[in-house]
Amino acid sequence: MTDLLRFLDTAVGNLILVYFLLINTFYFLFNVLSLAGILRYRRMVTYVRFGEIFRMPIVKPVSVIVPTYNEELGVIESVRSLLSLRYPVFEVIVVNDGSTDATLAKLIEAFDLRPSKSVFRRSLQTKPIRGIYRSTVQPKLIVVDKVNGKKADAMNAGLNVSRYPLFCAVDGDSVLEKDALLKVVRPFLEDPVRTIGAGGIIRLSNGCDVREGQVARIGIPKNWIVRFQILEYLRAFLGGRLGMSMLRSTLIISGAFGIFRKDVAMACGGYRAASITEDLDLCLRMQKHMHEQNKPYRIHFIPDPICWTEAPESLRVLARQRSRWHRGLIETLVRFRRMFLNPRYGIAGMFAMPFYAVFEMAGPFIEVLGYGLFASHIIFGQVDYPFAVTFFFVAVFYGTFVSLLAILLEELSEHRYPRPRDILTLTAAGVLENLFYRQYLAVVRVGGFLEYLRGKNEWGSMEKRGFAKAGQLP
Amino acid sequence: MLPIIVLFSFVCLLLLSAALFLFILIRRLVIVKREKKDRRLYEAMEEDLLEVLTAPDPRRAAFAFALKHGDRPRVLTHLLVSYRETLAGQALEPLKVIFEGTIRWKCLRELKSPWLAIRLQNVRLFVDFSRPEEAVHLVKLLHDKPVVRLAALNALTGIASRETLTYIFELFEGDPEPNLYVYSNIFFSLGQRTEPFIRASLRKPLPPEKLSLFVEMAGRLFLRGLYPDVVRFARHEDKELRIRTARALGRMLVPASVKVLTALAADPSWEVQAQAVRSLGSLQNWKTLPVLAKALFSPHWHVRYNAGYGLAAFGLVGVLQLQEISRQKEDRYAADMAAMVLDTVIITGGA
Repeated sequence: MTDLLRFLDTAVGNLILVYFLLINTFYFLFNVLSLAGILRYRRMVTYVRFGEIFRMPIVKPVSVIVPTYNEELGVIESVRSLLSLRYPVFEVIVVNDGSTDATLAKLIEAFDLRPSKSVFRRSLQTKPIRGIYRSTVQPKLIVVDKVNGKKADAMNAGLNVSRYPLFCAVDGDSVLEKDALLKVVRPFLEDPVRTIGAGGIIRLSNGCDVREGQVARIGIPKNWIVRFQILEYLRAFLGGRLGMSMLRSTLIISGAFGIFRKDVAMACGGYRAASITEDLDLCLRMQKHMHEQNKPYRIHFIPDPICWTEAPESLRVLARQRSRWHRGLIETLVRFRRMFLNPRYGIAGMFAMPFYAVFEMAGPFIEVLGYGLFASHIIFGQVDYPFAVTFFFVAVFYGTFVSLLAILLEELSEHRYPRPRDILTLTAAGVLENLFYRQYLAVVRVGGFLEYLRGKNEWGSMEKRGFAKAGQLP
Repeated sequence: MLPIIVLFSFVCLLLLSAALFLFILIRRLVIVKREKKDRRLYEAMEEDLLEVLTAPDPRRAAFAFALKHGDRPRVLTHLLVSYRETLAGQALEPLKVIFEGTIRWKCLRELKSPWLAIRLQNVRLFVDFSRPEEAVHLVKLLHDKPVVRLAALNALTGIASRETLTYIFELFEGDPEPNLYVYSNIFFSLGQRTEPFIRASLRKPLPPEKLSLFVEMAGRLFLRGLYPDVVRFARHEDKELRIRTARALGRMLVPASVKVLTALAADPSWEVQAQAVRSLGSLQNWKTLPVLAKALFSPHWHVRYNAGYGLAAFGLVGVLQLQEISRQKEDRYAADMAAMVLDTVIITGGA
């Protein structure tokens, strides 16, 4: 019996080591690919005048769709930022998804909205629309007021009202940089037939000064939970997503800022209203659709256009968000299980989906198992020192190295944190996140899985502080 | 033993972090130093360049400038590119002379680089400073990868001789996967001088998507001389081509096209109907008012939408017709559409 236990212990230990070695190696390779991607992108856009699109006689107009739910603190700044985007032809459609706070009233007051008799084609089924408003001061702005039906439903309502062939999904608490649309649309101009989606980098606005709808000063907040998230976002977007994009295996374009071809999205039936990770769901459905139609397609990730968004500042809200993301990931992967390891779906089915399934979906279990095993060894006084040292190097040291590489990528690409103090803070976050943050998130994600098994399908409320107050926690 | 491992682990992590932080700091110092040096150089060059631009003989001054600063290609390129943005016409001549005396040979060499990004970068540089007779270097790139090909094509539109126009049209006709969006912009920027080329192309047995683009261009560029060549596609079997024809006819504003458009308004495809009623609105022939009013009762949303705006284009008469339809109770969809068009027309002051 003891031998069997020892064998199991060794087997599980080895499994954990292999898991950490593989995940960190993958992320290391993604970082290397990202570096190549950043350098290539920089060369590709040298001497490009993004503004030349204004001189083009024929441009691709864009509908920017902003679903909002109880965003009274940040929605005005966000809409102002969108209306001040540099792009020749675009409309901004704000969908008030049955907010219970003063979101609509604030919009009406800030933009002098008047009820409009707009008639639209109901191509996608949504919850009833209570009214459509147009602004007398901002002709580009349309506000749709509807009964609450979750984010995906709000996006579908926006799609119904939109007029243009491309649509850009932006969160109600996000701020886009002025040239973001010009940059993210470029793949659609260079390869209009194959490009079906493109996304840019999401960064956290906590700790930054946002004035007149633009980030005026970039900074790092005092809150360590946000600091860890800043590093996480750098790792995910500059390392992971750009690297996966280089392998043409982008599985997700973030719902906070992504642009898509409307005809393809409509052909897939728009967003799935019941989905809680509607961005991943739509992206997968579009890819599945293109594969089934035997049409070549591309989804681009561009390391330059930046969208600033607000991150949770408390562990409770963070846990709610991550649990939802994890439930959404599992739900979507299960829904699209037919694509899994199916050569018909190309690299998305053969690489991206298995990667997400093994390292993102099942990963937290292995992590928690590893921490549990390690703790039990300490408790029972049976620490296997060679294993402990190997575990440290493979899991912690290698993982931290990959995190720190993301800081290096940020330095080589956008260089948005000019103060050495900020870099030092991020570096410290890279080390300190190993002490509690990573383990906490792993446990939260395991909890998310259990909630999925129990059939929980709620968004959970997100407490927003608004741009002006972000990063000023006591 | 465990405390030693933990301590050892943290020392390792601290060393790794410190190494990264130091690397970033040192890199920043090096970059800042280089930037300072470049800025000083840039300012000195800029001063000399301003003297060149205001000299009595700019060409001679430009030669002297090229001799003096030719050994600093990186900073010089930045200076030339930034001045290229602000200067136009004859004022560009000294910049071209400087380019020829300094960076041109490197640029030409790098146009043949195996790296796509470098080729692309140099095409863009070459576009800004090359002369029409140098189009031959760009023509060589017309068979490169799509992104380079399109950059070269864009460059050729700036050197629109008869020869380069021939290259552009031949390339489009033979392109197996044409980027229609980019070609549209290229043809549009070439303007009305493309008329004989479009006429010739419209008479060739090209695939429908290419013919569609030429038909579209005929309309957008207001090439009324191409009316007989365009109108024959009104009966073409390809739906997209009929849609484009209807749109082009609405833009050409040839009175004789009313009959053709009225026939297209009864096309079996609703997409063609929608475009035809919109074009009929642009033509503003009073005889077509009943056709548009009838189209407002179509079962297809887009046909109703375009018929509404088509009627609005008639001005007061159309607005009165829309008011009448908005008040009737038999077809709620037609009434709603008419009300929306009236609402929009009033908000934008279009009436």
